[in-house]
Amino acid sequence: MQKVFNNKMAIFLFVFPGILLFSLTFLVPIVLSAYYSFRDTLSPGTPSAFIGFANYTQLLFHDSRFWLALRNAVLLGLGFILIQHPIAIFFAIMLDRLGGKAEKWFRTIFFIPCVISVVVISKMWLSLLDPTFGAFNKMLDSLGLGMLKHAWLGDSSTALISMLFILIWAGFGWGLLFYYAGLKGIPDDLYEAASLDGASGFRLHWRITVPLLSPVITVQITLAMITALKQMETVFLTTNGGPGDSTQFLAVYLYNKAFSASQYGYANAISILFIIVCLLATYISNKLTRSDATEF
Amino acid sequence: MTKSTKTILWVFFLIVALVQLFPLIWLIDFSFLSSNEFYSSSVLKWPSDPQWQNYINAWVDGKFLRYFINSAFVTSVTILLTVILSLTLGYAFTRMQWKLRPIFFTIILLGIMIPIHATLLPNFAIFKALGLTNSYLGLILPYTAVSVPLGTFILTGFMRSIPKAMEESAVVDGANIYRIVFQIIAPLTAPALVTVIVTTFLNCWNEFIMASTFLSKDALKTLPFSVMNFAGQYSSDYGSQFAVMVLTSIPAIVIYAIFNEQITKGVTAGAVKG
Repeated sequence: MQKVFNNKMAIFLFVFPGILLFSLTFLVPIVLSAYYSFRDTLSPGTPSAFIGFANYTQLLFHDSRFWLALRNAVLLGLGFILIQHPIAIFFAIMLDRLGGKAEKWFRTIFFIPCVISVVVISKMWLSLLDPTFGAFNKMLDSLGLGMLKHAWLGDSSTALISMLFILIWAGFGWGLLFYYAGLKGIPDDLYEAASLDGASGFRLHWRITVPLLSPVITVQITLAMITALKQMETVFLTTNGGPGDSTQFLAVYLYNKAFSASQYGYANAISILFIIVCLLATYISNKLTRSDATEF
Repeated sequence: MTKSTKTILWVFFLIVALVQLFPLIWLIDFSFLSSNEFYSSSVLKWPSDPQWQNYINAWVDGKFLRYFINSAFVTSVTILLTVILSLTLGYAFTRMQWKLRPIFFTIILLGIMIPIHATLLPNFAIFKALGLTNSYLGLILPYTAVSVPLGTFILTGFMRSIPKAMEESAVVDGANIYRIVFQIIAPLTAPALVTVIVTTFLNCWNEFIMASTFLSKDALKTLPFSVMNFAGQYSSDYGSQFAVMVLTSIPAIVIYAIFNEQITKGVTAGAVKG
């Protein structure tokens, strides 16, 4: 058996292609990105001057957009954790209780938004929230709440919260599915034992379901922060960071710096800081949430 | 749970499902309207004269078939490569014994945390220099590289739960390592493989930002561009824009409807055992 598991040729054939591809399209580009980030480059491949850490000092100390983009990611992540996840857990529990054919049907329906392309989602919500013909404002009108009508994505006071709403709509199904999957792993006899002790309803779930789901919850919280940080396409296709940077995110910012503002070197510096932020966020949320969690 | 609580729950879910699907219902409804009907005050509107022309515009001017074929090709090759690479990597990381294993495993897992957007700029420069922009390969390579880390992560989690006795008896029967991986381990990891296939499918099929950065040649564009092409050309013809959005959504929904059961099983198996 050892001979089979030690087969050097097989190990090489199994590992090399994947590592090679991953290095060439992931790791080498990042090194190149780091190289460009020290240069004053306008577009890829143009000769340029070495300017040391100038891009980084500019970004960290003189660029309020960078910090706004980070703040927005944190707010969005908190929105996911405080709004989307409790709802997803609630629905997962209810779905699990429902049972039978209905359980399957609703599980299927709730996931449908997750399979729709981000381009469609963005353009659709742009129309739904349109101030003149959008269904959202029309609905407010028909409910007699016309005074709340708004250019939801066009007003800097409501743009970020509208974005959160769109992203929760689009991602709710994934959260639900993961919590649902976690629930299915909890043995039924635990519930039976607890109900014999007199626990029921909300208390039963608060005492049993939530603690036993904690491994899933910790993973999901980490994922929520990363998802918030990585936000790009929906923003890019709806508000493009505006109005007035109220929906600015790092990925959108670096994309526009590189391809619209022709500050390729600067954009690469954002890229490198972006990677560092993502790795830090993963590390921190792992440290914060993993301490009492069991191996999952 | 009593029968009446069940009924209340059922009705509650039905209402929530309708609210959740409302944007899509609205999209379909308005795709049958002519643009001057958009501004009426009603939220939903029965199309008195369904505008099938919107769908003809969507199909023809959205270049639906061309883009659909491109998407199907890029996505299938990516899925195939992702499955093979994740399976072999996953096996090497869980079962094979070699010195650099922990280092390489960490490197691959970095791929889950590093945002693809950060590789966008340098890859654009590299692909341009290599002539990979405007080629299928220019999408397939980064799509695969992005999908392999998650695929490997899901599969290693799953493979750890497979008893080694499986391989031991295969070795006794004279199977070599390649047969073990592809004929014994691969079928055993089927539920996890389905998760890998589905997540890879959804990510690649709907991917937009890399495609829009690396492709400018019309003949190679993928399905999301059907929608993008419309924004300028038909900027005031909302009916046709909505029709192309409906058309673009149909293939993914159909695939999902077919594989729905396996998706849930796969995620369940992946999440619980992973």
